[in-house]
Amino acid sequence: MGTAANFGQGTDDPRQFIVGLARGAAGALLFGVPMLMTMELWQMGFYIDRSRLLLLLLVNIPLLILLARRIGFEKTTGWLQAVRDAVTAYALAIFISAAVLLLFADLRLELSLSAVVGKVAIQAVPASIGALLGRAQLQGGGDSGSDDEEDEGGEADSGTLSSSYSHELFLMAVGALFLNLNVAPTEEIILIAYKMSGFHALACVVVSILIMHGFVYAVAFKGSHELPPDTPWWHALIRFTLPGYVVAMVISLYVLWTFGRLDDTAMMQVLMATIVLSFPGAIGAAAARLIL
Amino acid sequence: MSKTSKPSIESQEPHWIEWATGVVSGLLVLGLIGWVGYDAVTKEQAPPDFRIEATPAEPTSAGYRIRFDITNTSTTTAAAVNVRGEARKADGTVEGAETTFDYVPAGSSASGALIFSQDPTGLVVKIRAAGYTEP
Repeated sequence: MGTAANFGQGTDDPRQFIVGLARGAAGALLFGVPMLMTMELWQMGFYIDRSRLLLLLLVNIPLLILLARRIGFEKTTGWLQAVRDAVTAYALAIFISAAVLLLFADLRLELSLSAVVGKVAIQAVPASIGALLGRAQLQGGGDSGSDDEEDEGGEADSGTLSSSYSHELFLMAVGALFLNLNVAPTEEIILIAYKMSGFHALACVVVSILIMHGFVYAVAFKGSHELPPDTPWWHALIRFTLPGYVVAMVISLYVLWTFGRLDDTAMMQVLMATIVLSFPGAIGAAAARLIL
Repeated sequence: MSKTSKPSIESQEPHWIEWATGVVSGLLVLGLIGWVGYDAVTKEQAPPDFRIEATPAEPTSAGYRIRFDITNTSTTTAAAVNVRGEARKADGTVEGAETTFDYVPAGSSASGALIFSQDPTGLVVKIRAAGYTEP
């Protein structure tokens, strides 16, 4: 069971490896298809600043490794396995993105090589996260015990920063990034920001935080994030929800900058667009805490 | 996160860094609310107003290009901003060129270019925003 979690690498049975790849491909498709069918992302391939694209592609590598290390692993796997998993997911995502864009007639011979590479590269980032998530979710609940091992290992060396806390923030960042990549390229984000008044923006901040908090603590599945009865409710708000919202805002700012939405834009407009994008970001961050 | 056996992260004794992170985050969010709130209360809603700065014409394979920056100096964003340029020749004939910006956000600038078929250098060139819509 456990070997299927890491694309079946290192096993003698080639079938398990293939099943692992298929699950990753299914995940890449499932999570990547909204972006693969978004016009703005196709166009982004032409004009996205190449150094920002490069940075996004590079940032994605440690993110995938950490994510691979974090989710759905058998106890014995180490960092090397996580690296192999991340690389496999990335490669799978590139292949799936290229194949689907080809299918949709978006990659054509008339395009310059740079445009083709740009189009595929942008899509590969969310799709690679999808490949990892999809594989972890699709394989069923067989090895969910692995998380506990890791967390306990982290808590054993208390005195340094609790590793489960940084994990929690990391998961929120991944969730926010994933949903942000989904919606940030669309024109609607800046359009909404332009339509909003300052009061709308204030309401958006408050609602985002409320949703984020409610998502985890009001509708949480049993046993996942229950507050101890003797702890005041605002403890969790300060320790988890507010840092989570700040993480979502930072990720939103980064994604908007990557897509060139902030260039030559006044500070107030930057802030408004960030607040708008943090709304899905906050939902993604909260969902990641529940699902991953 | 484990769904069954492990005690939830909320029930663990928090490390001081968690409180520090929480307090700093809280201050950031309050600062954000304060900033946006101050802006919302004090900002006067003035209609869009444009300033255009153009560079000299340069020859391209498609004609003579005049690049320009359009800045919206007001506090509201304009959409579908139509910019027209006219090059008036000595014999009175006028060559026009136009382009449209999807958005020129409040207090921000955007760049574009107009392309003329004949060299406008030395002619009277006027570039102005000819219209916009509210987003």
